Amino acid sequence: MSVAGDLLAFGDWRSLAVLRRNALVYFRNWKTAFLPPAMEPVVFFLAFGLGLSGYVGGLDWEGERLSYTAFVAPGLIAYTAFGTPYYEALYSAYVRMFFQKTWDGILATQVELPHLVWGEVLWAAARGFMNTAIVCVVLAGFDAAGAVDLHTAQLFWMPPLAFLAGLAFAAFALIFTALVPAIDHMNYPVFLLGIPLSLISNTYFPLETERPWLRALIDVNPLYHLAETCRWLLVRGEPGPHLGPLALTAGVLLLVSIVLAMRLTARRVLG
Amino acid sequence: MTALLEAQGLTKRYGDQTVVDDLDLRCDAGEVLGLLGPNGAGKTTTLRMLYGFATPDGGRIRYEGRDFGELRTELKRFVGVCTQEDTLDYDFDVRQNLRVYASYFRPRVPELEARVDELLEQFGLARFAGMSPHALSGGYKRRLLIARSIVHRPKILYLDEPTTGLDPAARVDVWELTDQLRRAGMGVILTTHYMDEAERLSDRLLVLQKGKQVASGATQAILDELLGDHVLVLRADDPAREAFEAAVAAHGLRPRRVLHELHVPVDAGGLAALSAALPEMRLTVRPPTLDDLFLALAHEEPA
Repeated sequence: MSVAGDLLAFGDWRSLAVLRRNALVYFRNWKTAFLPPAMEPVVFFLAFGLGLSGYVGGLDWEGERLSYTAFVAPGLIAYTAFGTPYYEALYSAYVRMFFQKTWDGILATQVELPHLVWGEVLWAAARGFMNTAIVCVVLAGFDAAGAVDLHTAQLFWMPPLAFLAGLAFAAFALIFTALVPAIDHMNYPVFLLGIPLSLISNTYFPLETERPWLRALIDVNPLYHLAETCRWLLVRGEPGPHLGPLALTAGVLLLVSIVLAMRLTARRVLG
Repeated sequence: MTALLEAQGLTKRYGDQTVVDDLDLRCDAGEVLGLLGPNGAGKTTTLRMLYGFATPDGGRIRYEGRDFGELRTELKRFVGVCTQEDTLDYDFDVRQNLRVYASYFRPRVPELEARVDELLEQFGLARFAGMSPHALSGGYKRRLLIARSIVHRPKILYLDEPTTGLDPAARVDVWELTDQLRRAGMGVILTTHYMDEAERLSDRLLVLQKGKQVASGATQAILDELLGDHVLVLRADDPAREAFEAAVAAHGLRPRRVLHELHVPVDAGGLAALSAALPEMRLTVRPPTLDDLFLALAHEEPA
């Protein structure tokens, strides 16, 4: 297939068949699949938000004074929107590819490799959508309880945003899935990329720097723009100036990553 | 008659190594074609090209006269693949393995539930339908793999070493299932290391060595062509061994050591000449088998 054909494969029935396969597995185990993402934001919000806010108090953001809980709540959403598809496309996809040989079975059918890669990306992004929705429900609960003050109506925008950005994060992760020789080597994309990226993106603390190289790095980081867009929506009730850069950086990351992921996966799986 | 499958000039290279070299093959409906050859002969690579897992570097593949390169998606609908490795989906139970696999084909499998029930019955899997494939023995896992590979009613089935690792009873089960499919009109392409399996199941054999076709046809015709009419057998500890080896070498032959014996394939003329040269020697003479052929190919360079 041509590059254009590879890119257009995302809407093909075969990509959706792979997505459906993963969704079937997920919903078969929905009790265990739903609980951790519901608990994680509760724990994080209690620890970072309510716990740290006593020490941090408030902080300045876009010219206004915010409580730490109001700052970190959108950060939690952005982190979920990043971490869920990123780790799904790293670990779960690797297990399906390497240990379970699920991909070999699928590729012996009418499903071709671009559909398989798109199916995995769509599924990882869909998981980002679901987990983000769960986090939003939890945060709405904290808002109702008075623990944080958010524009809760804007929470409805979070899962779709998470899905769209999640496509890029999942495609990026699949590059490493195709590259790492053994699952132990996943530590590299996790500890050298995933964790640092989630920390330098205005998720848990504001990042202000005068260093041009770090500023440039932050500006091309879609997770930073996602966190800020979530924050603008939930704190100010409007999309703010980061929505455009988010679309641009996530779009570029998706296009580059999906093409690269397809080439590398083809080399690894098809030989 | 148009062949169900016809490949011409099939070639595959990895780097500067040619693993399948200008291969021609054909398979008709209701026929089992056995691909035979030692490790590294190119059997699995050939299969992978035929079912679309690997892209050939040269040659053409046609299903019912239609070009696989041009109509790949449409033609893959008529191809069933049972891989050498266990690719069962362990996230699903036995029944779901069949159902989910069917979802990877369009047009959709008509009356899927009835088809799944039919396969569960035919392959003796009905009592395991709700269980994980983990609960199945090796033989039943293989049954499920084959059942899954034909859930969409393909016209041709690729079986890549379908009985490797199975006990004798499970092997016979797989043979019988394969024979059933052949009798139902399916074309089957089989690779195997087991010579008895190749001989029993295959209508025709295609023998590969280092990516090249060295013979093709019925078993006996291939043996006659590649090995001759007889195999001379002498015990390796026979006192006349040196004289035997010298006489054999004088005829341009080389004995092959198999455990405690020396084996030399010869044609009728060679047998007469060696008998005349070694009148006192007590040699065993037997017809050649596919095992002899396999051993010969594993140790010789292709012509």
